Amino acid sequence: MKRESKLRKIGQQGYLLTLLVRRNIKNQYYRSFIGVLWTVLNPLLNMLVMAFVFSKLFGGDTDLDYPIYILSGNIIFNIMRTSTSGSLPCLVHQRNMLQKTRVSIALFPTSNVLSSLVTFSFSFIALLVVALVRFFSGHYVFQWTILLVVLLIPAVTLFSLGISYFLSALYVFFRDIEHIYSVVLTLWTYLTPLFYTIDRLNSDLVTKVMKFNPMFHYVEFFRDLLLGTIPGGTELLICYGFALGSFAVGYAFMRAVRNHIAANL
Amino acid sequence: MAKQKIEHDENCLLEVHDVTMKFTKYDVGVDSLKELVVRAFRGDLRREKFVCLKNVSFKVHKGEAVAVIGRNGVGKSTLLKIVSGILRPTSGWAKCYGRISPLLQLGAGFDGNATGIENIYLNAAIMGYTKKEIDAKIPEILEFAELGDFIYSPVKTYSSGMMARLGFSIAINMDAEIMLIDEILAVGDVAFSKKCYAKLTELRQKGLTFLIVSHGSAVKDLCDRAIWIERGRVVADGDAKSIFDRYTDAMIHPEKANG
Repeated sequence: MKRESKLRKIGQQGYLLTLLVRRNIKNQYYRSFIGVLWTVLNPLLNMLVMAFVFSKLFGGDTDLDYPIYILSGNIIFNIMRTSTSGSLPCLVHQRNMLQKTRVSIALFPTSNVLSSLVTFSFSFIALLVVALVRFFSGHYVFQWTILLVVLLIPAVTLFSLGISYFLSALYVFFRDIEHIYSVVLTLWTYLTPLFYTIDRLNSDLVTKVMKFNPMFHYVEFFRDLLLGTIPGGTELLICYGFALGSFAVGYAFMRAVRNHIAANL
Repeated sequence: MAKQKIEHDENCLLEVHDVTMKFTKYDVGVDSLKELVVRAFRGDLRREKFVCLKNVSFKVHKGEAVAVIGRNGVGKSTLLKIVSGILRPTSGWAKCYGRISPLLQLGAGFDGNATGIENIYLNAAIMGYTKKEIDAKIPEILEFAELGDFIYSPVKTYSSGMMARLGFSIAINMDAEIMLIDEILAVGDVAFSKKCYAKLTELRQKGLTFLIVSHGSAVKDLCDRAIWIERGRVVADGDAKSIFDRYTDAMIHPEKANG
């Protein structure tokens, strides 16, 4: 009896989560003509622009074909970027609902992270399209290891979840975080080798510091898979270490302040 | 929270025990990091505690309809939020032994871009119902809301009355055991308002339990018990008719109430 009601509760929350995710995606493309197609087109077009702008600057010294290099880095980074920047104001935006109904607050940042995973899967299709084009023009060879991306995604998701929990709860108390985080995010984007290669910087210091950038590990892991090399176990451990660390901190923070959120909205 | 075992009697659906709620009221709202840091350095972080509810205790039994009355700002809505589990009291506890349907604001959490139907699903899911349960209730909700084809239009095109109709229909048609209602009955046109009261009376006869915050005398007929809250304390608790009369009397002649 008790077990049954627990199962029911989990199913119910799952159902609510899918509704929220669906709503997020729908609202993102509300009233646009080609709707959800934008999720594929957007990264494609962005990649074209970046490949056009940066290929003269940085191109040539990447192991991967440069357009694929840019696109692969960006779609992984975007999971984190869109989920965290979307989650940051999500509790405050749902003020009305959170003050009037009893609902688990963690659902809102979680639904944001899941929506960005949906976006990622569409972007992944875009990547496959580009890879196919480059394959026919002889710049890229498909590798089976690309399938191992399923190992990486849970780590990136957990990592993003942790940051999302933390930021969305903190934003309730300190609205400054919005502005601070947008700067942090810009800095983070440039400190992660998305357009350039780390060798290009040719600095020991940067190489050392880069080890502490979780996004660097995620992005490089993904590129290794695209190149056909299987990253070592330590690399996988590092990826999950960062992920679990972030998730634990974010979740603990949200739990700690959860009872104060409704009163402070 | 008190951990000792509380013997729970079968008929009690809702129990509020010694609830005190304090809000921190900064002299000037500290809402930003800078403000907090500057104040912390100046040692000026005066936190004025504002006591909203003090040692409130009561029990609601199965089938009772209880009205919570009192002036604006005495903590009635806060009490409902504590009962529904949205806010956690500073001390004391509130427990519900049944499914609650909080109706604190009609259409709280409606998504403007989504259609009426989609919002029914979303709203009910937030209230804790599964897809199957909602599917079963859809015809009744639609029939009660009387929105016709508008139900397939985005909610942002609705008038506030239509929005209220939809919100009320959802809340009232779900099988809750306790309904918490916060001054929302004054919405919609007369016909709908009448329909709402009729529905509430019908549910009441079915044995549903109510906790209603209101000033309206229409509630007087619906409820059999009233709790009068003044400055965060329960001043009177008992038969609805007599308490409503005393309350109205005190409102009109405030000088007498002090005596």
